[in-house]
Amino acid sequence: MASKKISSKIIIYILLIAGVVLSIAPFYWMIVGSTLPSGEIFRVPPRLLPGDYLAKNFQTLNESLGIAKIFWNSLFIALVYTLISTLISAMAGYAFAKFKFKGKNFFFFIILCTLMIPSQVTLIPLFEMMVTFNWLNTYQAIILPTLASPFAIYLMRQNMKAIPDSIMEASRIDGAGELKIFFTVILPVTRPAMAAVAIFLFMSQWNSLLWPLITLNSKEMFTLPVALSSLIGMARIDYGQLMLGTTLSTIPIMIFFLLLQKHFISGILGGSVKE
Amino acid sequence: MKKYMSVMLVMLLLLLSACSNKTAEDEGQTGNSKNPSGSITVWGWDVAAATMKAAVEKFQKQYPDVDVKVEDFNSADLYDKLTVGLAARGSGLPDVVLMEDERIPGYLHQFPQGFLNLNKLGYEKYKDSFNLAKVAAVQNEDGDFIAAPWDIGPAGVFYRVDYFEKANVDPNSIQTWDDYIEAGKKIKEATGAQLLPIDIPNYDGVFQMMMQSQGLSYFDKDDKIALESKEAIRAMEVIKKLHDEDLILNNKGWDGIVTATVNGSVATVPYGVWYAGTIMDQAPDLKGKWDIFYLPSFDGGTRYANVGGSSVLIPSSSKNQSAAYAFVEFFTTDTESQLLGFEKYGLFPSLKETYTAPQFTENNEYFNNSPIFKNFADIVDQVPQINVNENFAKASSLISNAQAAILLENQSVDTRLNEAKKQLENERKK
Repeated sequence: MASKKISSKIIIYILLIAGVVLSIAPFYWMIVGSTLPSGEIFRVPPRLLPGDYLAKNFQTLNESLGIAKIFWNSLFIALVYTLISTLISAMAGYAFAKFKFKGKNFFFFIILCTLMIPSQVTLIPLFEMMVTFNWLNTYQAIILPTLASPFAIYLMRQNMKAIPDSIMEASRIDGAGELKIFFTVILPVTRPAMAAVAIFLFMSQWNSLLWPLITLNSKEMFTLPVALSSLIGMARIDYGQLMLGTTLSTIPIMIFFLLLQKHFISGILGGSVKE
Repeated sequence: MKKYMSVMLVMLLLLLSACSNKTAEDEGQTGNSKNPSGSITVWGWDVAAATMKAAVEKFQKQYPDVDVKVEDFNSADLYDKLTVGLAARGSGLPDVVLMEDERIPGYLHQFPQGFLNLNKLGYEKYKDSFNLAKVAAVQNEDGDFIAAPWDIGPAGVFYRVDYFEKANVDPNSIQTWDDYIEAGKKIKEATGAQLLPIDIPNYDGVFQMMMQSQGLSYFDKDDKIALESKEAIRAMEVIKKLHDEDLILNNKGWDGIVTATVNGSVATVPYGVWYAGTIMDQAPDLKGKWDIFYLPSFDGGTRYANVGGSSVLIPSSSKNQSAAYAFVEFFTTDTESQLLGFEKYGLFPSLKETYTAPQFTENNEYFNNSPIFKNFADIVDQVPQINVNENFAKASSLISNAQAAILLENQSVDTRLNEAKKQLENERKK
């Protein structure tokens, strides 16, 4: 019996280790690649230990992109977008979940419908709008159009629905205004959902390529994905530089995720003991 | 409560400060065609954009009132932006845009009014400054210049000198594709290296070169599909034979070709001249070990073809056409600017008067002390003109599919080419 248990455990561990290797190896290779000159990356057998080219890669990357400005662009856009968009979706979700008003279902239906329109369809009309506003090459052209995310609204609505009406009623009896109820009672309760939405929105904006690419023209305004994409030349690609840029671009996502993860997990646990 | 309000106010301020980032664009004066002035924007990609930036300095000596801003994207990104801009009736487009030649017919077909006819601005007079095949590639059906010719990619076979020596094969003895296959067998025996890299399901460049050396694209001069011609069949049969002898390294994509070049798993790479830059760049250790010979030929065909090349166009939406034309004219006909791109980035000009410059004629240390660029320059006039139309990209992917079916699934050349032809006919009917 015991030996059977051990052997099945061994198999599970082997499978798990294989999974870990499979998912970590590309990242490892990316990090190693960022410390090698471009030619070395193609060497057979591949070099598995980091080289000493990191500083040089950083220097060339900085020369071709101006990495600080690019990082600032990406970070500014993603953070402002995430903050505002999370707030908007929480407010909209709250309204749809907890209030009765004329046309509520109709509006919610419309919002859901926009989920079904592929973004390619709206690309050209939106672009024309940006040109008319003279907004090409600006931050707001990237932040504003997708600020109200139907998916996030939907997610928040589903979460808000689970909040018992009695909480709101109790607050009202205690004399709290509607805004105060929303900010001090509802929002803290839905923190885990907000964290999930924020991570989702941050990642989608941080990684977004097509729309920023279409609307941004000058190097100083590029976001990270657009800038990295511009590194891929017709015939020459400095892979070391590219790997380093990609490595750097994953760091903020990791930090953002780790920061919000706490809320995320505490929310899941908090929910499990409530009932 | 106050705290939340202040957070929102700060965010609003941030957003507003972002708005003011945008500098006012001056679209004020544009001057007249004699004395263009104002500012223009140019879109290009990597080394081409770098060349354009470098050329601006001299341009401004001649046209001090014109401001040129070169914006740099990767080429796929540039096409995305260009297509969106053209579809939005010319919104947000630059005044000058760089484009690969094989893309031009597609864009002209989709957006017939999208670009200026350069003949109307007087470009006609440069007709004899460029080689015929290039001129044909940038003209519309009426023989008017739509794009101004810039770089080209005369094709040759890059080969490993040391491998050929080890296998005792004389590159000069390779005249036909049969010779090439025989040489490949010997080299494989002596060195273990395969003969050439082809990304079988995705890349039909070798087939394209073979077709052009016989005067065809996927279409003949009368715009009929040429996939069942004897030229197409024997080209595909050579590729099949190369595969049957296990001489093709099936490596994925551009990275696969570069990898194979650097790590020595192939003895030759048939490609455009610009690949020389990549080899020097990515494999500095192999100095002296590469050289070129011309493409092998078929019976009655030539040994010349062209891979790649790009040209510059002026979108009709340009608000400053006189300045845009002044830049296009200067950039494509100024010898010094052309040589600058060649010397620094290996962009091979189509302007014929550049070929007598010492940069072209001298021996190249990296390439076995051969005058490889002179060798390429010698053949540009003999590269056959071919008919590239708006269905070129579709035909290319159909042929890649056919190639995969023939080589990897062992289907017959005749049936598969026939099928590709039928599919292409269907596409054209749409």
